[in-house]
Amino acid sequence: MADLEIRGLKVEADNTEILRGVDLDLNQGQTIALMGPNGSGKSTLAYAIAGPPAYEVTGGTMTWKGTELNELTPDERARLGVFLAMQYPVEVPGVSLTNFLRTAVNAVREEDVPVREFMQTLRAEMAELDVDGSFLQRSVNEGFSGGEKKRFEILQAALLKPQLAVLDETDSGLDVDALKTVAEGVNRLSGPDLGVLIITHYTRILRYITPDEVHVMFEGRIVASGGPELADELETGGYEGIRAAHAAGV
Amino acid sequence: MTSLTTLTEEALTGASNAADEPTWLRDRRLAAYKRTLDLAWPDSRADEFWRSTPFAQRLDVEREIVVGGGSVSPASFTADLDVEVAMARIVDGALVEVTVPAAMVAQGVLVTDLSTAAAEHVELVEPALGALTSSNTEGTGSGADRTITVNDAAWTAGVFIHVPAEVELDTPIVIQVHAETGGAHLPRVLALLGHHARASVYLEHTSGADTDALVDEVVEVIAHDAAQLDVVSFQQWGSHVDHLALQKVQAHRDSRIRHLSVTVGGRTVRFLPETDLVGPGAETRPLGVYFADEGQWFDLQPYVRHLAPHATSDVLFKGALQGNSRTVFRGNIFVDKDAVGTDTDENNKSLILTEGARADATPFLEIECSDIVAGHGSATGQIDALQLYYLTSRGIPREEALRLIVTGFFREVFGDVDLPGVEDAALTEIDERIAAADLSRFQVNDASLKDHHDE
Ligand SMILES: Nc1ncnc2c1ncn2[C@@H]1O[C@H](COP(=O)(O)OP(=O)(O)OP(=O)(O)O)[C@@H](O)[C@H]1O
Ligand SMILES: [Mg+2]
Repeated sequence: MADLEIRGLKVEADNTEILRGVDLDLNQGQTIALMGPNGSGKSTLAYAIAGPPAYEVTGGTMTWKGTELNELTPDERARLGVFLAMQYPVEVPGVSLTNFLRTAVNAVREEDVPVREFMQTLRAEMAELDVDGSFLQRSVNEGFSGGEKKRFEILQAALLKPQLAVLDETDSGLDVDALKTVAEGVNRLSGPDLGVLIITHYTRILRYITPDEVHVMFEGRIVASGGPELADELETGGYEGIRAAHAAGV
Repeated sequence: MTSLTTLTEEALTGASNAADEPTWLRDRRLAAYKRTLDLAWPDSRADEFWRSTPFAQRLDVEREIVVGGGSVSPASFTADLDVEVAMARIVDGALVEVTVPAAMVAQGVLVTDLSTAAAEHVELVEPALGALTSSNTEGTGSGADRTITVNDAAWTAGVFIHVPAEVELDTPIVIQVHAETGGAHLPRVLALLGHHARASVYLEHTSGADTDALVDEVVEVIAHDAAQLDVVSFQQWGSHVDHLALQKVQAHRDSRIRHLSVTVGGRTVRFLPETDLVGPGAETRPLGVYFADEGQWFDLQPYVRHLAPHATSDVLFKGALQGNSRTVFRGNIFVDKDAVGTDTDENNKSLILTEGARADATPFLEIECSDIVAGHGSATGQIDALQLYYLTSRGIPREEALRLIVTGFFREVFGDVDLPGVEDAALTEIDERIAAADLSRFQVNDASLKDHHDE
């Protein structure tokens, strides 16, 4: 049994079925890329794993090391090691980055990490990810540029040390240098304990983070799977082939 | 004994004489008393300013005026600060204690009994006392409001503060007003800042847990040219106290005023923080945070009058409500026809935490001059589901996430307010109330989830 095992997952939002039976396996130590055209349901799957705020799971199962995730609240999932780097990170006015990160780290580790130790780790990780110290007193994501928000998502992952990281288009909006910094950040986290699900439209991030498998989502289902070469095919050929095959009922 | 309605000339004269007040002060009290006779108590049906409050029903003017003084020493949040503050303590209608650090005394700072100052510093007190409550004919702080005029006549415990020109204080002057005995309390404060003086005045209002009192308070402050003044007023009353407060500042040329109120206690609180910008280039920032709970009614009326050119005002009040509480924000900015170059902004934001609470806001502008920049707005909302999701998805339990969001909501008000202890004390007050609340009843608005998806 895979560490993350998704079987026949169906999800609705606003009474519309978005995921129509998704199957996916992901093990710790593994990196999987999920691609697919706009609106195919990739973010919906990401949310479903991390605890859907506005999505209703209407069928199927989703277990993390044997525990059914569908029955857990988002904070419970995070404490089990699940982390979602959001496609559109949320601004939280008046909550300082420092306060937010410290509260989150303490909650996930279920202990009160001494302030000095926490600050040392935080500063070290910020330096690695090229995040300026002036961000410490700023409100979470407020007034951050798109790239800054993405970098901040990875900073959170670095501090929370998840076992399952879902990265939803973390590469979009990043220039080449930032992309490298972020990819290196992810690679530093990687290891035998981390499973990564990386959602993207482009292969450029996959040049730095090599996936073990590539899956393609289309209209709420995984319709194609393969190795890294599949990503290259999609980038040059687009989704037309998949669309056509689908229309032909293959 | 005397109540607000059974005051007599004899009683006022007797009290004034007993306090060794000079003749001018006694005569002024009697003149104010005569004015009260022509005024009615505010009435919720007839008076615009009381229109939407239950104050008139709750305003029990028959309560006896408390004059005795008491031996209670309420705690001050400034006790935990490692700065030496000046402290004046009003308990049960009498000024019971004044301490002024030697360093302040050496700079000529006065913090003293107002009746005594009226005799000993007549040149300072006589022209200033009542200048802001009875001189202007417009606005709420006029002679037309009996609750204010009656304080002019019958105030019992007064504090006089004088910060001489060019004296800059780094530590606050603290005035505690405490009601332990039930009845009517009539505190009074007069503070004068000379030109280029800098000072902060903290008012801490507290009461016994069960004290049933009406506190009718008037604070007048005059900030002369280029003075820098912070007034911070904490309303931490128990739940049976009704508070009427006029805190009025006159701001002269290039002076800079910040006026922060923190309202968490009391049954009904009508709070009037007012500024008259009388000198060119003066600036005022009336700020407010409030947290209203079951049974509480707050009526907040910041009022700014731009009476000189190139003055600035920036009003920001933020409140959270739960239970069946109600808050009314009635900000008003008046811009005189000669106040060219006025820059004004006025905002009120409310967070409705549970069903049943209600917040009303009418930010108002009264503009007689065209050459100005003015903005105003108000918003009422609920806790944002997407923010809540984001925090919880990082492992933070729902309750803690709610606390972070609500506290975060208030932080904007403190912006650059760097006064020792103030932000911490205010947020601690609010946090205690959130901690005591039933967070499972907090309402969350999930509209943002849908918007988010459409981004
Ligand atoms: N909260 C929601 N309410 C209604 N419809 C939704 C909601 N969330 C997603 N959808 C719909 O579900 C479909 C899949 O959306 P999703 O965001 O998962 O796609 P995606 O594959 O991540 O697309 P993109 O590549 O553009 O990020 C879309 O048609 C979208 O309009
Ligand atoms: Mg998406």
